[in-house]
Amino acid sequence: MKLALTLVLTLMFLALESVAVKYVGLGVARIDVTVAIVAFLSLRAGLLEGAAASYAVGYLLDLMTGRPTGLYTLLAVVTFLLGRIAAGIVDVRSAKSFALFAMAADATHGLLAWGIGSVSDKQMAVSGLSGLPLEVFLTGLAALVLYPLLKRFGLGAEKRDPGLLTL
Amino acid sequence: MLSVLRRHRDPLLVCLILAHALGMFLGSSRRVRDPNLVDRIALAVTAPVQRGAVATVDGMVNAWQQYVSLRSVRRDNAGLLQENTKLRADVVGLAEARAENERLRRLVHYDEVNPGPKVIARVLGINPDPNRLTLRIDRGEGDGVRRGQAVVTADGVVGQVLRATASAADVLVVFDPNSRLGGRVQRTRSRVGIAGAGDEQALKLEYLLRTEDLEEGDLVVTSGTDGVYPPGLVVGRVTGVQRQTSGMFLNAGILPAVNFGKVEEVLVLAPQPAASFPTRMEGQGGR
Repeated sequence: MKLALTLVLTLMFLALESVAVKYVGLGVARIDVTVAIVAFLSLRAGLLEGAAASYAVGYLLDLMTGRPTGLYTLLAVVTFLLGRIAAGIVDVRSAKSFALFAMAADATHGLLAWGIGSVSDKQMAVSGLSGLPLEVFLTGLAALVLYPLLKRFGLGAEKRDPGLLTL
Repeated sequence: MLSVLRRHRDPLLVCLILAHALGMFLGSSRRVRDPNLVDRIALAVTAPVQRGAVATVDGMVNAWQQYVSLRSVRRDNAGLLQENTKLRADVVGLAEARAENERLRRLVHYDEVNPGPKVIARVLGINPDPNRLTLRIDRGEGDGVRRGQAVVTADGVVGQVLRATASAADVLVVFDPNSRLGGRVQRTRSRVGIAGAGDEQALKLEYLLRTEDLEEGDLVVTSGTDGVYPPGLVVGRVTGVQRQTSGMFLNAGILPAVNFGKVEEVLVLAPQPAASFPTRMEGQGGR
């Protein structure tokens, strides 16, 4: 049920984001709402549930790019796992701290995308890196707005234990 | 073995998920793959949301733009109304200036046709005394205006200076009952007397024998015999000719050529020298 809710929310956010980008004209720098969701999952969801949800979120992001390569699916799962590790170090309890956490996650996500993408597609790597700072900033702003909303929906609310090997 | 797998089920499944994602990425080619069932469902869900969002945003943007446009239109409208009022006032002023220019041009043309010393004067007002039909002009003795000088416009005779002060003068108009001047019917050259009748629309034609040839519409000009008006100035056109069965003279009126209600600028002519009286023309008339 939580997975379905995550998928529905992700689809809504992606659809709205695509419309927002259309009007605001952020051709290079996107508001990476999917990373914010993955970051939230890494803080609140269980390992299996969060990984599956991140996979689904990444898959949808891949799908929305119009040219699905599986890159964002992979990165979503990796970002979730890295977020799980980071969640054991930091304490995220407020919208501001979540925004910073999401920004760090987005920076990591962007750098990984650039690193992996540069191997297979140089043009994608260049554009991804040039827009990264603004993308991270905008994702942080979006995370501020999304945090209370995601909490309200109770996404991954049953899990607080950090780490990769804990249940 | 099974117990180990059961204990580490979740991490193992996560590893499978990660491996599947990695395999999907590594296995993907540059070529865009055809959408599968999940892709189609996801796209089918997002498309209406996108359409709705676009429609909503477009509606809001359009509403905002229309609101801004409306505000702009209102502001522009207010500005244009002010500008229109100002321009209309300017147009009235320009029309006035144009009319004045036209009148002055005609006066200048008159001056070219009838050379000689003249003073251009502006009509200041009409004397309110009903017994004295006079106009007041803004030129007086200081400008060389003297009593008895003829006052004309390009259309014809206005009257003569009745009195002059330093800076203004009163002009007795030709339709004043006390006004008299010598005239001539242009077509027949008959000499006539012209008297005011107190009506700006009608002068009296006097002293023309009832046997004389006179027709409605004949032009009457000044004869120059009165010592005030030079010969040839237009007075008006004959109207209301009545030939009595008895008496020496016929009755007729003259419709003045000058519209006294609209006179604004006039020419004050220099006094007529005695030598310029066209006495030789008197022989042409038949009195």
